[in-house]
Amino acid sequence: MRFRKAKLFHLPLAILAATIIPAKAAECELKLGVVAVLSGPAAQWGIALRGSAELAAAEANAEGGLKVGADNCRISVVTVDSKYTAEGAAAAANNLVSQGIKIILGPIGSPELTGLKPIAVRNELLVVASSYAKNAIGPQWPLVFHGGPGPSGWADPIIKVAKQKFTIRSVVVVAPNDQGGTDIASVVVDAYSKNGIKAREEYYQRGTTNFAPLVTRILNAQPDAVDLASSPAGDAGIIVKQLRQAGFTGPIGRLGGPGTDEIARVAGGYDVLKNFYWYEPVLIDDKVRKIADDYRRLLNASPPENNLFFQWVAVARILTKAIARAGTIEDTKKIADALRALPVEDEALGKGLWIGQEFFGINQELSFPFGIGLILDGKVQALQRHDAATGK
Amino acid sequence: MFKLSARRRARTEAAAVITLAATFAVPFVTSSPLVFSILNQILIAIPAAFSVFIMLRMNLLTFAVPAFMAIGGYSVAIAAANGITDAIALAVLSFAIPAAVAAPLGAMVLRLKGVYFVLVTFVLTEITQLTLFEMPWLTGGSNGLVAIPPTTLLGTSLSSNRAVLLLATALSLVAALIAVSLTRRFREHFDAIGENALLAQSLGLIVWRYKALGFVVAAGLSGIAGYSLVNMLLTAHPSSFSPISSVNYIAYAIVGGSGSIIGPIVGSAVLVWAANLFNNHGEYSPGLFGLLITLFVLVGKDGIIGILSRLASAPLASDASSPGRHSKAAAVS
Amino acid sequence: MDSLLAAVIIGVSLGGQYALLALGFTLIFGILGVVNFAHGGLYVLGGYVAQAAVSKLAIPYPVAVLAAALATGAVGYAFERFVLERRIDDHLATLMLTLGLYLMLSTGILVTFGAESVQFAFPVTGAIRGNGYYIPLENLIVLATCLLAIGAVYLLLFRTDFGRASRALADHRAVATAQGMRPHQLFPLAFALASGLAGLTGALVTPILSLAPHVGDPVLATSFLVVILGGLGSIGGATVAAFLVGLIEAFSGVYLGGSKGALALFIIVLVMLVVRPSGLLGRETRGA
Repeated sequence: MRFRKAKLFHLPLAILAATIIPAKAAECELKLGVVAVLSGPAAQWGIALRGSAELAAAEANAEGGLKVGADNCRISVVTVDSKYTAEGAAAAANNLVSQGIKIILGPIGSPELTGLKPIAVRNELLVVASSYAKNAIGPQWPLVFHGGPGPSGWADPIIKVAKQKFTIRSVVVVAPNDQGGTDIASVVVDAYSKNGIKAREEYYQRGTTNFAPLVTRILNAQPDAVDLASSPAGDAGIIVKQLRQAGFTGPIGRLGGPGTDEIARVAGGYDVLKNFYWYEPVLIDDKVRKIADDYRRLLNASPPENNLFFQWVAVARILTKAIARAGTIEDTKKIADALRALPVEDEALGKGLWIGQEFFGINQELSFPFGIGLILDGKVQALQRHDAATGK
Repeated sequence: MFKLSARRRARTEAAAVITLAATFAVPFVTSSPLVFSILNQILIAIPAAFSVFIMLRMNLLTFAVPAFMAIGGYSVAIAAANGITDAIALAVLSFAIPAAVAAPLGAMVLRLKGVYFVLVTFVLTEITQLTLFEMPWLTGGSNGLVAIPPTTLLGTSLSSNRAVLLLATALSLVAALIAVSLTRRFREHFDAIGENALLAQSLGLIVWRYKALGFVVAAGLSGIAGYSLVNMLLTAHPSSFSPISSVNYIAYAIVGGSGSIIGPIVGSAVLVWAANLFNNHGEYSPGLFGLLITLFVLVGKDGIIGILSRLASAPLASDASSPGRHSKAAAVS
Repeated sequence: MDSLLAAVIIGVSLGGQYALLALGFTLIFGILGVVNFAHGGLYVLGGYVAQAAVSKLAIPYPVAVLAAALATGAVGYAFERFVLERRIDDHLATLMLTLGLYLMLSTGILVTFGAESVQFAFPVTGAIRGNGYYIPLENLIVLATCLLAIGAVYLLLFRTDFGRASRALADHRAVATAQGMRPHQLFPLAFALASGLAGLTGALVTPILSLAPHVGDPVLATSFLVVILGGLGSIGGATVAAFLVGLIEAFSGVYLGGSKGALALFIIVLVMLVVRPSGLLGRETRGA
């Protein structure tokens, strides 16, 4: 009890000491912070992000810890719910900082990243975020990296494939009316326009449960195709169901993210999706499926359902690699330098690139090969592998 | 509603002001980012909870706190972006603009009684949120206003963590002083309205005038909370003012105890702190929060303050509780 | 398809869903004086109970819907009897308690069933198609169930002792109690009935839309809007208001879209409340 009291009293000192005095080999502990939404409608993304960090940590620990300089560091993961709000993410970041954590995976939501960045700058945190916001990264935030490209990276090649398979001269792009929707839909619309397709945006209020009015509006525009952009999979499923019910037969795209299985579950099967194309962040093959098996084996739990999990595992792995390469778990600038210098490569996902200069003005976006999903006449096609987006 | 004697009321009011004034010392005692972060959130919550508290004095439940927080917060953000960064000017602005918006609304809304008032405040919050999206030229639309220049005081920038916390404390203290003076000055009127508005009216009290005054001041206090929030994040984002967040401020006021001014302070402190603690438990956090609210409401009438004051007034309370506390502490450690 | 006709058909379908949602909400509101924040949670719970019954136990869908109503009714009964009843006379306390229940319910559902939408399809598909219009069959079934439920609740309230006692308690709790009504026996039953209706609605509507832990969140706002617009505790008023809100939502959604549509809905509701401060068919008010 006396020990406890003493420890409590000197907690701020202890944290200070931990940041100054290099830890000894046996005591080296690397705490990875995860800022992730774990409640509300976006919870599945946060759960996937947390899972990726936990797997990367478990992999390193299974080999006796991450070798950082002369030390073998045990990795632990500390996750804080960020509630999909700016202040939630700011509070989460402060919480992690107070535990001496300097390296953060996430957040996912655009408002979250907006709220987190000032805290990150103030505390020199290294952040690898996953938001698709238009200003997710930039030269003013040299320690903020992007785990995977947004639609600016991959929308164009997918549209080219869709154009080959289907006749698309006009498209209505549908997304929720908030930053998670508008920042993506507007980029997707630009990509369609560049490919000579007449595109218009249509937004709905988040929390809408019945999309019949929206569907009527879409059909009044008589588009060849409808793109659901970043509409959450549950919403997208209802929209698909109601579009088909209303007699829409054209192709439906979703240049926003994975979740096609969930969309099919809600819509009532792949037959209802009929002709469908989407962005799949990774090519799901045996190597990728092994990630799920590793998760079951190492963590003794079912892996997260969302496919972004696989992409984020690669991100978490490359981050731990950079920490090892930098030889420090404290100096985030050194780690950032090591990260920038690392070739983008993962045992499961393959070779990728650093991109982002053109869109964000800074080359800090990880880009791995990705998959283009297609459903033709209700039949799911094998994912097409596409080389890592160049962002040009 | 929970009633206090005049002397005890004066004492709780003094305690509220002293507690907040004492908070000024915190950033000089510690530099823990966790303490700073949680304390800042609490200090933002307090003026918002006062807003609920004032309306509850008149037996009116308001869901409009996020609406007026948004108006106050965005006003400050827009003013700062246009070169007005002085803390005092912004504080006045953050109170005055929501209050000015509330005045004409009050005339319309305060004809409504009970649950109809509740619904209208809820609708107002929804309308405010949607208006933020519909006016991107002013509010930045769905992306909000970011990179707001930090507040200044007499020309010095208040951008450090400590300065932000001190400003939040000052705003909270100002809000407490406003709430105390309003409820002191019009205590009988508010009590009469709270107990039976119809009777109060028939006895010659011009009910709508006091209701409107309460509504306007409550709106201004929410605006101060909005300023404090925007100042902490240097961002005004629609996600910070979601209609459902109104429930939190109501919970702070009720769980703390809506019978005295110190209730909203204690409620904000306990619940914000607990929410931060629970956020470490991932998807279980909302459930734990729900459990905590349930327990508090079941255990104590009139919130935490009710529990504390019953403990304090129980005979032998001080004698009996000290060994109990010791054994409890021992059991915990 | 003709937009005007489409908007009317969509509005009526939405109205049916909303009326069913609002029915349980207005009962609790009217009889107990409780704003039930857990309504959306019970709706989702009903959906998951029916879904689990169909997919795990292979129970026929109509039976699963009844099971969902019974299960949520039981949860409601227990909650009122053991938790809410302790603080039933303090409307602020009951507000917080139902909020607490909602948070615990939705957390429990998320942890148990996962965050993603589950497969749960309505057994009847297809639509009546005519010249320039279509009406999905599932919407007709919801509408029919809604009318049946409203009729049943109406009979229950106006033709049975339970109903007479409940209405007496709703009108004036102290007087009714003095005359021998027993709130602590009636209230759990009323809460169970209302919760069962929420569960029934969830079991019926989630397979038409989608079923995930968060789909109950908007339910509260809609129910709230409908019930108060209709007039406190008035079943007739809530029904009229439900169809009105459905039609306004459909028209503003079709012709304005996006947040403008939602904004129009709320502004119309605001104006209606200012014009008729006691709701469409409401009489008196209760403190909240």
